[in-house]
Amino acid sequence: MTSQTKISTDPQGTARLLRYLAMPIFLGLACLALYLYVSSQKLDSIEQRSLNPSAIIEQTGRLIELAGISTLIVVVLAVTTGILLTRPYTRRVTPFVIGLANIGQAVPSIGLLALFALTWGFGFWPAIVALVAYSFLSILRNTMVGLQQVDRSTIEAARGMGMTKLAVLFRIELPLAVPIILAGIRTALIINVGTATLVTFIGAGGLGEMINNAIRLDRTVVLITASGLTAILALFIDWLASVAEDILRPRGL
Amino acid sequence: MTDEATKESTQTAETMIRLENLSKVFPAQDEPAVDDLSMDIYEGEIVVLVGPSGCGKTTTMKMINRLIEPSSGRIFLQGEDVTKVNSDKLRRRIGYVIQQIGLFPHMTIADNIATVPKMLGWDKERISDRTDELLETVGIDLSYRDRYPKELSGGQRQRIGVARAMAADPSVLLMDEPFGAIDPITRDRLQDEFLRLQREIKKTIVFVTHDIDEAIKMGDRIAILKQQSKIAQYDTPEKILTDPADDFVADFIGGGASIKRLSLSTVEDIEPADWPVASLTDSHERVQEKMQSSGKGYVLLLDDQNRPSRWVGAEDIERSDTSLEEAGRPAVAIVEASSSLYNTLDTMITSYKGSAIVVDEKGRYQGVVDFDTVLEAINAMRPEEQTRDRAKRDVQARDGGR
Repeated sequence: MTSQTKISTDPQGTARLLRYLAMPIFLGLACLALYLYVSSQKLDSIEQRSLNPSAIIEQTGRLIELAGISTLIVVVLAVTTGILLTRPYTRRVTPFVIGLANIGQAVPSIGLLALFALTWGFGFWPAIVALVAYSFLSILRNTMVGLQQVDRSTIEAARGMGMTKLAVLFRIELPLAVPIILAGIRTALIINVGTATLVTFIGAGGLGEMINNAIRLDRTVVLITASGLTAILALFIDWLASVAEDILRPRGL
Repeated sequence: MTDEATKESTQTAETMIRLENLSKVFPAQDEPAVDDLSMDIYEGEIVVLVGPSGCGKTTTMKMINRLIEPSSGRIFLQGEDVTKVNSDKLRRRIGYVIQQIGLFPHMTIADNIATVPKMLGWDKERISDRTDELLETVGIDLSYRDRYPKELSGGQRQRIGVARAMAADPSVLLMDEPFGAIDPITRDRLQDEFLRLQREIKKTIVFVTHDIDEAIKMGDRIAILKQQSKIAQYDTPEKILTDPADDFVADFIGGGASIKRLSLSTVEDIEPADWPVASLTDSHERVQEKMQSSGKGYVLLLDDQNRPSRWVGAEDIERSDTSLEEAGRPAVAIVEASSSLYNTLDTMITSYKGSAIVVDEKGRYQGVVDFDTVLEAINAMRPEEQTRDRAKRDVQARDGGR
């Protein structure tokens, strides 16, 4: 989890560029190393079936799909819920919803997956539901904290000048909460990439399936490739999220 | 008093804001926060609501733009009953400045100022022109347009807050302790600036503070409020200081009411004493001559730009070996003509000879005041005040004696 690596606002362009480029360069080198390692090995038929471009791309794509779709859904649901729960009229239900979201995150991910599989069967969509439930809290909590930390006097000034409640929400509260909400989304994304490797146990495929097969069939090369790719993917997505955080943060904050 | 004319005219001006039997009971509270308040605020005057904390002054102010909805009673703005109109639209007609300023940190200074004009649907060019005009009015360089609030000092932010409130040229401004969170020196300067500005723009201003000295300085009229916004006294600062309505008002003003009165007049209002002056380039004999003919023990020497330079006494001049530029003592205890009598007196007490030199805004010599001249002025204030009180009573009688 790297959500806390806050990037300092560096005025020097070159330092900034270096920071942006360091991670992709490192990940590129890791990919190269992995490729060279696999090329140097003599592969048997089982290994060849897993370690060919189309299989790897398919499984990696599946993992991205799982993490991407679940994150998209959870962002929409959790940000909306977060907004609703910070309105004065929902004050009474807020603790209950937070409690529910807490359960989602407190239960170990594999247990949560099993529970959802038992209720809704195996496959892609139950996996998505489980991922959403698992990462819901991090976005919900950050949305609420982000909205609550907006200075009351800023909101009062906005209302005092005749902005409607809706205008205050969209023009003042949400923009000012963006950095904290984005940090929550980044956390959720990382959680989902990690957890998405486990959904193989409920038959949703992905790189996790490769890892699982490699362990069962005792194929070290496949295991190293699949877990290496998972790690590279997770780091790459985290890097993308950090760049997005930098770009989307409102100026002046 | 300098603002005699304006103060007198506000008495006859039309009512801008009328509060009628206004009450506010907050949910789950037995006692009303504001209980049956009625008051009139005239066009172009600064009315200060002042009182101890929790007296309901802020609640009262927030009912005027209905950030707090009154439980009962009515609010009139320029004769129109606005108690039930759309409150968002109402607020766009009323400027609003709060202590914490509340600038939007993610918007540039220009965008902050443009908030209300944008809501009112002004076109871009008009907004841009108005922004430039306002930045000039509040004395902020135009280069700050595209900066963000965090790059500004507290005083600059406060100025932007005022500019933003005036953006759509509302006739009414509500100010809730606008200078409360600013250091005393900057506050004093901002208050002066604001008063100067008000002389040009002549807005109707409702100003909330808990600081009686600020109220005396800023207010054309002051409403001293007790608990539940009950009006203890609603009158001019002079009247409140000289004739407090009851013990509550007297206590609230605190000690030194007569001294505080001195902050209401400026040194311009009093006749400076006749004092001998000479130029630094004059000869020793000429200076001596001037001193003898005036009968005073000291002569003030001015430099080539008429600015006070040195005080010289008889014995300084007799020593002809020192040039006039080094003789005597440097001229300190200088006040500007617009300084209050209070500040002038303060300067005089700490000065060498118990007198203060009055200069204009460019530092040029205007005259000298000493204790005698100030005392004379204080004595002169009394009859002057009585005539004014009589004039006001006449107005009140005509208005139905509220």
